[in-house]
Amino acid sequence: MMKAHHSPTPRGGRRWFLHHSGVLALQAGAVWALLMGLLRLRIPDGTPQGARPALGIVRPPGALEESEFLATCIRCTRCADACGVHAIKLFGPVAGSLQGTPYLDPIGAACNMCLACGPSCPTEALMPLDAVAEVDMGIAVVDDRLCVSINGTGVCGACFTACPLRGKAITQGIRNAPEIHADYCTGCGLCEQFCIVDERAGVRAIQVSTNRLWDGIAV
Amino acid sequence: MKVELKKIQVLRRTVQVSVIVLLLFIPSVSRYTNYVAAREIDDLLEKWDGTLQGESLALIDGIFRGLPGGEKERVGQIVRDREGVLSQTQQFRGGSWSAQLGPISLSDPLGALESILARQKVVRVVVVSLIVPVIATLLFGRIFCSWICPVGFMLEMSDKLRGALRYLEIRPHDMHFSRGTKYVLLVVGAAIAFISAAPVLGYIYPPAIFNREAHDLVFGIFDRAEEGKFGFWAGGLTWMSLVLLGILLFEVFVSRRWWCRYVCPGGALYSLIGAARPVRVSLIAKKCTHCADCIVACPIGLNPMLNKMGVECDNCGECISSCHDDALKYALRLRGGEENVPVFDKSKAA
Repeated sequence: MMKAHHSPTPRGGRRWFLHHSGVLALQAGAVWALLMGLLRLRIPDGTPQGARPALGIVRPPGALEESEFLATCIRCTRCADACGVHAIKLFGPVAGSLQGTPYLDPIGAACNMCLACGPSCPTEALMPLDAVAEVDMGIAVVDDRLCVSINGTGVCGACFTACPLRGKAITQGIRNAPEIHADYCTGCGLCEQFCIVDERAGVRAIQVSTNRLWDGIAV
Repeated sequence: MKVELKKIQVLRRTVQVSVIVLLLFIPSVSRYTNYVAAREIDDLLEKWDGTLQGESLALIDGIFRGLPGGEKERVGQIVRDREGVLSQTQQFRGGSWSAQLGPISLSDPLGALESILARQKVVRVVVVSLIVPVIATLLFGRIFCSWICPVGFMLEMSDKLRGALRYLEIRPHDMHFSRGTKYVLLVVGAAIAFISAAPVLGYIYPPAIFNREAHDLVFGIFDRAEEGKFGFWAGGLTWMSLVLLGILLFEVFVSRRWWCRYVCPGGALYSLIGAARPVRVSLIAKKCTHCADCIVACPIGLNPMLNKMGVECDNCGECISSCHDDALKYALRLRGGEENVPVFDKSKAA
């Protein structure tokens, strides 16, 4: 990147050309190395901070396919500002190339599917959606050992009550045990937010798992 | 004439400070929107009264209730019109990298370019968000750098620090680099975006970092208030702020206005878009006394006395304000004017 203000070789000529093309190549190489280094930067286990290892990254409603999303999103914070319930959070710089991209962490605040984030996106990395039925962020997964209605320690039904598509996405079986229907479940995470099971590591009996693929591999 | 042009600098500083205030205001409005939507706002205003968070919420509440449609009458009382307030607050999003201000969507051309190249597809919303920035740049050149960019403002202020260092008997270095660096960086970044589908320049572009950091700072402060801890807290900032700090220190001690002059890829793109701008700084050669004050004043390190303001000039008007002879002005023309021949060079003057 450095170029002496007073070039050691006179302007014009072969040596001047070699000197300058060398400096240009060095600059380009240094910048390339810096940016590529920045892209590779992840915390050691390969899981970015905020993403839940077994469940993947839940993106806001209308997000493109993951590799296309990462290419299109300009990391501008507009969707996080638009979110009406502060459900959209942004990855920090520790997440490497995921830095600044939005994700949902439903335990604190689940998506209420107001669909304000889609129109706020300046690049359509989040597509504007018209109806809640089009949302497909992920799917709720029930842990049979933790769910009180399934493991026999009680009768709950909190997830069924919280579900905005109750009766379609979640139906109830014996002792109010939840049954998830993939066709309708949008992955909003309201069931996770209101699940009464609160394990130490913030694990609920019902959790949203992403169904997104990243170049064919589940994220 | 002189007084009016001095006022341009006052106006420019006002705009720059308002941009910084806006960058802190928009995330705060976002949190205010959350509280209004959740019907918690009145409780919070009471509970957080007297704290930084409470006072800023009260200020924002005052602003939006004051707007038309912000209040309504219910059972003889004037109360906040929840729907009206929400429809107003939801008009503000983003920051210096990409913003929604009312009906106007704005994006930095660098971000839009990278997104388009990486996705290899042009969508309508991107083009719409480019209309205002590109037209402004086509007419006035790099005015984003001199009027809007929050980092540009920060670095202009740090430039003043260099003068203060003299009192400590420290003489800061002024290393020069190639101005071509920023165009190389722009081309390399665009190539990476196109080849490996990663919009990389957005990670290191200071206005984008500033945008995200301001967002994280404000959200961090409000997150903390929800846990019952009040007052200012910088813990929401990430280590990307250190990049900004590093640039600032480098400029103060090593190279004057290093980033904006030599490295900024966004500045390079604005320079290229505004290359054919009609509004240029122009010299009235008859009045010029060759005092060279404008050269010292120019933040970009150009020489306005040559009367050839090319792509680099960001039309900040510092040279115009610094001129004691009213020899510099903004003029409407498409190229650099006639060369101002130094008076001491008699062979050329003849």
